Amino acid sequence: MIAKDAILSNGGANETFVLNLGPQHPATHGVLRVKMTMDGEYIVRAEPVCGYIHRMQEKMGENRTYAQFLPNTSRIDYLSAMTYTHGFVGAVERALKLQVPPRAEYIRVITSEMNRISSHLVWWGAFLLDLGGFTPLLYAFDDREKILDLLESITGSRLTYSYFRIGGVYNDVDDQFLKGTRAFVAQMRPRLKMYRSLVTDNIILRKRLIDIGPISKEMCRKYGATGPVIRGSGVPYDVRRVEPYSAYSEFDFVIPTREETDSMARYLVRMEEMVQSLRIIEQALDKLPAGPVMAEKVPRVLKLPAGDYCYATEAARGRFAVRIVSDGKEIPYRVKLRTPSLSNLSLFEEASAGMLLPDALALMGSLDLVIPDIDR
Amino acid sequence: METPESNAQLLSDCAPYVKFAKLDEMLALGRANSLWPLTFGLACCAIEMMAAGASRFDISRFGAEVFRPSPRQADLMIVAGTVNKKMAAAVKTLYDQMPEPKWVIAMGNCAISGGPFVFPGQYAVVEGVDKLFPVDVFIPGCPPRPEALIEGLLKLEEKLTGKRRWPTVKPE
Amino acid sequence: MSTNEPQPKVDSAPPASPPAVPAPTAVVPPKPVAATAPRPAAPAQPPPPPAPPAPNPLAHLPLPFKGVDYAAKGYHADATVSPDLVVAVAEVLDKEGLSLDTITGVDWMAEGQMEVVYDYFHPAKALRVVVRTRIPRDNPEIASIHKVFPGANWHERETHDFFGIRFLGHPNLTPFLLPEDSDFHPLRKDYAP
Repeated sequence: MIAKDAILSNGGANETFVLNLGPQHPATHGVLRVKMTMDGEYIVRAEPVCGYIHRMQEKMGENRTYAQFLPNTSRIDYLSAMTYTHGFVGAVERALKLQVPPRAEYIRVITSEMNRISSHLVWWGAFLLDLGGFTPLLYAFDDREKILDLLESITGSRLTYSYFRIGGVYNDVDDQFLKGTRAFVAQMRPRLKMYRSLVTDNIILRKRLIDIGPISKEMCRKYGATGPVIRGSGVPYDVRRVEPYSAYSEFDFVIPTREETDSMARYLVRMEEMVQSLRIIEQALDKLPAGPVMAEKVPRVLKLPAGDYCYATEAARGRFAVRIVSDGKEIPYRVKLRTPSLSNLSLFEEASAGMLLPDALALMGSLDLVIPDIDR
Repeated sequence: METPESNAQLLSDCAPYVKFAKLDEMLALGRANSLWPLTFGLACCAIEMMAAGASRFDISRFGAEVFRPSPRQADLMIVAGTVNKKMAAAVKTLYDQMPEPKWVIAMGNCAISGGPFVFPGQYAVVEGVDKLFPVDVFIPGCPPRPEALIEGLLKLEEKLTGKRRWPTVKPE
Repeated sequence: MSTNEPQPKVDSAPPASPPAVPAPTAVVPPKPVAATAPRPAAPAQPPPPPAPPAPNPLAHLPLPFKGVDYAAKGYHADATVSPDLVVAVAEVLDKEGLSLDTITGVDWMAEGQMEVVYDYFHPAKALRVVVRTRIPRDNPEIASIHKVFPGANWHERETHDFFGIRFLGHPNLTPFLLPEDSDFHPLRKDYAP
């Protein structure tokens, strides 16, 4: 990394040009445009331009009843759809003081953690595709298909689940799912070890990521960055530990944190998170209680008492929070979605100043962005 | 010496090894078997498109795994995801930049008609990519399964060549 | 900003009150055990004693925070301040080590006001703080807090996109999620395309 002043004095001429990255570029991130003022190969200023996939989710919150809004929640961040539905459904349950049965809470945890692993696998494959390695994408999608088969058997869908309902989950898990999930956990652990030796310890990856894109603790705090971004900067902030929700307080898992603050730290945090998710799934399978999967008295017409209600979950990308403002009607007055990718990308302009273009792309990949998460 | 009879004999002898056809049919066959898609995943459908390109569903079997980032090198645009009014100009530019012959597959409900994001008073979504340029195949679903995308590709091949090279699976 | 004021002004609009507790009504005495009692009505239970107010985790700050029941609402402390105090509050919360969660607006058209809501969270402990303020709807302006929290830059741009609230001092209040040439504010309650 070179200091900003030094860049423009290289070569003498004070010439910069604007390079436009996107909005159409290899489909891994989505439709993001970054206007980069470049000095040769160094970035002077990178300004992300968003809004190319703005799908009016918050406006639709004011036009849909609480139940009708559920499919929207899956499509905000489609890779980690379970936790987003969880956030919305949790806010409504909090407002109505609904008791979700323990079996439903455990099922929610199991499916959310499986979703987290599948999201991290897509991130991993796409990140390495950005860095130039094609093969890990195929391995990642192969593992992901196993997760999707299991989730499809109980939810009916591969990507945008809408499986959680207000009061529980809508379909109970069967023995085939439980056996299949245990088999998946058993075969995923050696696969993760293989990924470590094949990719993580690869010298090219290490040279591309170590010491690239340092993001300090203070920068994370000032921009509201959460998830693996802040955990890769030394702060063990995880909503599942700090504001425990659902059944997470009953499980024993480690919050992977690294001190180095570079892209490699964020990479290693996510790889370790997959291991921890497998741990949580196993514990939840062992302790899965019997019982109903839906709360008893869920009102047919949902009307929340007037006021505002918040609920936060730990999505694969970071802290996802919902704020519902209700005026007592069937339709929310305002639904605010606090999404992790927006806060994580907002520090990109400051963090990428003075970087080489490929390094900046490695930094952006390590932030793990899903653009509909930013634009909503 | 050539006689009509000897020519006919020659044709029937060669028939197992050599195909005679009109040039158009040959070109259509070549184009259909090597459609090069433009990487144009916008939203959720893009992930199912990636899954179709990955090893389980493997559109490489149909010749279409070479996703080109540049529209100049692609002949198929799979619009996978919601097209926004802000993005519409860019989509149209990409379509215009693709050289002829080119085809468009509208994948997913958003590309067909705006999908789940149409509601009275909506201000941001283009209700269907066929409002911008002609579409050859529509694949419904939210998101459509990778098998549905492959079926859409086969339908496009059928549109190009007039023949479908894989049998249609009939549900029992 | 107005840090030399001894007592921060509380906005005239009533702050969000904790859920109302029913006043104790007269207790119905249990029916006498007589065989000729016409209808054995169940004795009314005395109403539960009012729940103690949730503790205020920011009681050490000279700001009008109130403790909120986290299980009911999802945050720990709530304050309604006047619009000219938002920067000062942001600075105090920055020193407390809080991080900016999000900034958004709510269009209370019937009251002729817009509410700007600042959400903060602490990265090390369970502390979710909400700061609200109300500004007049026909001239919605408020100071920007981007100098305290650079992350506010995008949140304020988005709130401006959706509601038309002008954040004074913001370096780049151009459309963020809407097209660059937009001049409409879609989340206003009187918006029609």
